[in-house]
Amino acid sequence: MSASGMAAGKARGDVPTGALLWLIAGFAVLLLPQWDRLPLWLISACGILAAWRWFAQTGRVRLPGRWTRTLTMLLLIGVYIATVKARFTVDTAASFFVLAVALKWLETRAPRDFYVLFFILAYLAAVNFLFRQDILWAITNIAGVALLLIGLQSLNAPDLPGGFPSGWRRLGGLLLKTLPVVVLLFIFFPRMSPLWSVPLVSGEARTGITDTMKPGDISGLAQSSERAFRVTFGGTIPPYRDRYWRGLVLDRLDGETWRQSREEPFQAPGRVAVDGGVGPLAANEYDVLMEPTDQRWAFALKGSSPASDNVYEEEEDLFRFRRPADSPVRYRLSLSEGQTGTGLALASDQRRRYLQLPAMGNPRARELGRTLARDYSDPQVIGHLLERFRTQPYFYTLRPPKMPDDGIDALLFDEKRGFCAHYAGATTFVLRAAGIPSRIVVGYQGGEPGAGGDYLIVRQYDAHAWVEAWLPQRGWVRIDPTAAISPARVESGLRDAVADEGSFLEGEVLSAQKYRDLAIVQWATLQLDRINYEWQRWVVGYQGQSQMDLMSRLSGGLGLRELGYLTAGIVGAALLVAGLFSALQLRRGERRDAYQRVIRAWHQTCERAGVPVRQGETPDTLAERLARVQPSIASTARHFARMVNNHYYNPASDEDLQALRRLRRLNAVMKRQLRRPEQGSQRTS
Amino acid sequence: MLKTFRHRWRAWVNRRLPRSDSRLFTQKTIFILPTGAGVVFGILLLIMLVTGINYQNSLIYLMTFLLGAVFVGAMHQTHNNLSGLKLTLLRTGEDFAGQSVPFHFRATASKRGAVAIRLSCDGEVLPPIHVLPDQSVDVALFVPSSSRGYLRPERVLIETRFPFGLLKAWSWLRPATAAIVFPAPLKAPEAQLMMGEGDDENAAQSAPGQDHADLRPWREGDLSQRVLWKRFARSGQMVVADWQGDQGQPHWLDFNHYPGVDAELRLSYLSSLVQDRSKQQAPFGLRLPGQVIEPDTGATHTQRCLRALAVWGQKPPRDAIRWPHGTRDREVSDSQTAPDVHVGGAA
Repeated sequence: MSASGMAAGKARGDVPTGALLWLIAGFAVLLLPQWDRLPLWLISACGILAAWRWFAQTGRVRLPGRWTRTLTMLLLIGVYIATVKARFTVDTAASFFVLAVALKWLETRAPRDFYVLFFILAYLAAVNFLFRQDILWAITNIAGVALLLIGLQSLNAPDLPGGFPSGWRRLGGLLLKTLPVVVLLFIFFPRMSPLWSVPLVSGEARTGITDTMKPGDISGLAQSSERAFRVTFGGTIPPYRDRYWRGLVLDRLDGETWRQSREEPFQAPGRVAVDGGVGPLAANEYDVLMEPTDQRWAFALKGSSPASDNVYEEEEDLFRFRRPADSPVRYRLSLSEGQTGTGLALASDQRRRYLQLPAMGNPRARELGRTLARDYSDPQVIGHLLERFRTQPYFYTLRPPKMPDDGIDALLFDEKRGFCAHYAGATTFVLRAAGIPSRIVVGYQGGEPGAGGDYLIVRQYDAHAWVEAWLPQRGWVRIDPTAAISPARVESGLRDAVADEGSFLEGEVLSAQKYRDLAIVQWATLQLDRINYEWQRWVVGYQGQSQMDLMSRLSGGLGLRELGYLTAGIVGAALLVAGLFSALQLRRGERRDAYQRVIRAWHQTCERAGVPVRQGETPDTLAERLARVQPSIASTARHFARMVNNHYYNPASDEDLQALRRLRRLNAVMKRQLRRPEQGSQRTS
Repeated sequence: MLKTFRHRWRAWVNRRLPRSDSRLFTQKTIFILPTGAGVVFGILLLIMLVTGINYQNSLIYLMTFLLGAVFVGAMHQTHNNLSGLKLTLLRTGEDFAGQSVPFHFRATASKRGAVAIRLSCDGEVLPPIHVLPDQSVDVALFVPSSSRGYLRPERVLIETRFPFGLLKAWSWLRPATAAIVFPAPLKAPEAQLMMGEGDDENAAQSAPGQDHADLRPWREGDLSQRVLWKRFARSGQMVVADWQGDQGQPHWLDFNHYPGVDAELRLSYLSSLVQDRSKQQAPFGLRLPGQVIEPDTGATHTQRCLRALAVWGQKPPRDAIRWPHGTRDREVSDSQTAPDVHVGGAA
């Protein structure tokens, strides 16, 4: 658009084209983090409405009148209500927010509307952080806000000299200069506990294990390479085959489905405390950073006990958060060596629970259990069963056949092809039929090292199900039928276990995990993951407890109140320093002219002599006035004035330094003379 | 209450910014406050902070601090944008009352330059100007005038909201030099003019005869038509027929021609007549109580007459000099006895 067109637009109180363009760009960037949680119709509506506004700016279409606008608004809100169906979650709130922004495009006529949009979009950036905290998304968000700020700048100076590079330079300089203050504030601003409890309920279904298990379930999960959690060990990382991350126990077989017999207690949604322990890890401790699951269970190795207070231990050696994990949670556990439930007897109600079987179904498996129980002792039963899996042609596969009726029988005796969930279910069934109390444990098994090898990444495809059986002398013993069938699964992971089949991550075309053979892809993803991990641990996870820990290590130990003072101090000091700096700059500008300083000193002398300087007065005039009031220094004053004139009207004279010195001397003489005959001369005037 | 506050504020500002035709804006004279948008921005930050606290979200904290820092940084940018700028009133224009009178300003930037500077006065707003570092830009601000006399805006507002419009830094230039506004011309009623002594003189003017004219030697400024060329050919002397020189006063525009009429109205009539005469290029003189301008023609003369009409009976406004407290009255009343007052003129 031409400059004249812009000027005309300005006259109408319109928004300058450049500013609008930046704002639309900012909007697009800020929508990116939301792309997979917004309904498609809303994304298209955003695109269409923004494009409409843009075409109106370039004059290709007209902005809608009031009727069209109202109609569009009603239509879109209608669609919104229809799709949301009164489910009020943060998700739907966020999409309403986006809808409001989209509708505002049609109304952006004056700079005032522009500011409204700016504010909404800036808040949208903050809302985005509720859902995504990865470093790349954080950068995207900040970039979006930077675009908005450039838009504002462009609104206030549409024809900025130097064009938009200079605008970016200005903004960049501004951000750079304020960066130290931002960092200090981030570190020292006291992290208060929430003012009121706000659930972050998301309508989105999370990928992850669930509290029920049908035979096919976990193989579905195996198709996802999403990250489940990351672990840092204080000591050595346990070998692959010992990395059994227990999540929950399923002990009730209900037809085909395994469930928890104990109901999860109802828990009002709320914030899970993010503080997951601070300070360096002890040798037996490990630190887990779990992706949000919207569930309360935490994953732990066997024999752990809580080391941070956002997680507590339940019966069955399981760990729970006090609130569902709706955002990434870090927690810390410590391992105690070799502790098992020795000597603990199983109470009769527990025994009944772990022996529960449906009344009907899978007769052959029951028979197998009964036969084994008749011939062998409990440990031998287990041994025989595992031996059976090991020797007979059982297959571990991500593509198990359908086994609709008496699935366990079909798996054990006919098909002999299944996934971990199948085998765990079948094993538990047989053991229970043999009278051995047993249960299914669901969680993850494995985890590959991240970049640098100092932490583990556990992904969804590491999801696993195995069995625990109660042996009177040894307590609960882990039995993994999958390990018997496919040792590769527990030694090196799913990828190797199903390598022949080629079924690893069939559905995920774009997953970097799928292309691990490409060294560069592998390297890049691992590096990125490492950066993200550090980011999550040190920046995202920097909350109350970690702040207190950091502060307590500073000398003196700072409490919340001191932090408050410190923050105020930082802000005050920053303002002061900035103010001083600009004052100094200004002063320096004045100082450049030494002449001016001498002249100013002379003015002060005059003022002291009772001859206040008038604005716009020439040195000669002033000298004359001074001479009249103080005849004793008349000649000195005139001489001074002449020299000043000389300097300003003959700039070519190169005796500047000398002249300057002389001027200073003259002024000093005047001052001295004024001080001496003070009374006498003053009276006469 | 509000009124007294505003009055005090004005008085304070006026003390701080004495009248002057030139001002270098510095820390001492720049005012800065958040705009409406800036206040809303502050509220937004507060909401963001509460969101961050409630969701225990570090990144929202970070975003809040970042935007807060941007605000503080913008405060300095906005201030620095205006600071170091020098605004000078170069000259003032003249026009008739009711018109807008131009005031020509020059904005000179320091090393830093100044972006999106807005000048305004009495509702008249100039489009924003950009002054590149160490350069200057000239602008004309048209100040609406309502009545004749000295026109001097109480304050010319210089303002910038750059970069984000969240803050505005402003200051005022209180010009010392006044523009002169001529009385709005009003068609003089014929009859009243006739009522004066000039009935026959008018006739004489319509048919000027050479025999009525005074002859005098040519002097600078005389129109060449009036030179008696025949006589020049004859005697070599440049003689001018000064046919206004006689006592007829046909070309005198006199304040006293309109007895009983309001003084301002009379001035408006005279203003109109001066314009007419000037257009006809006819010579005329102007008589005002206490002031007489000898008959003449030409643009300068017209200007002089109009100025006389404009400021008749008005004191020039206080000038730029910051008088020591209490000396002004003395200066105006008995300037003769205060010896140091005329030093400026003498030097």
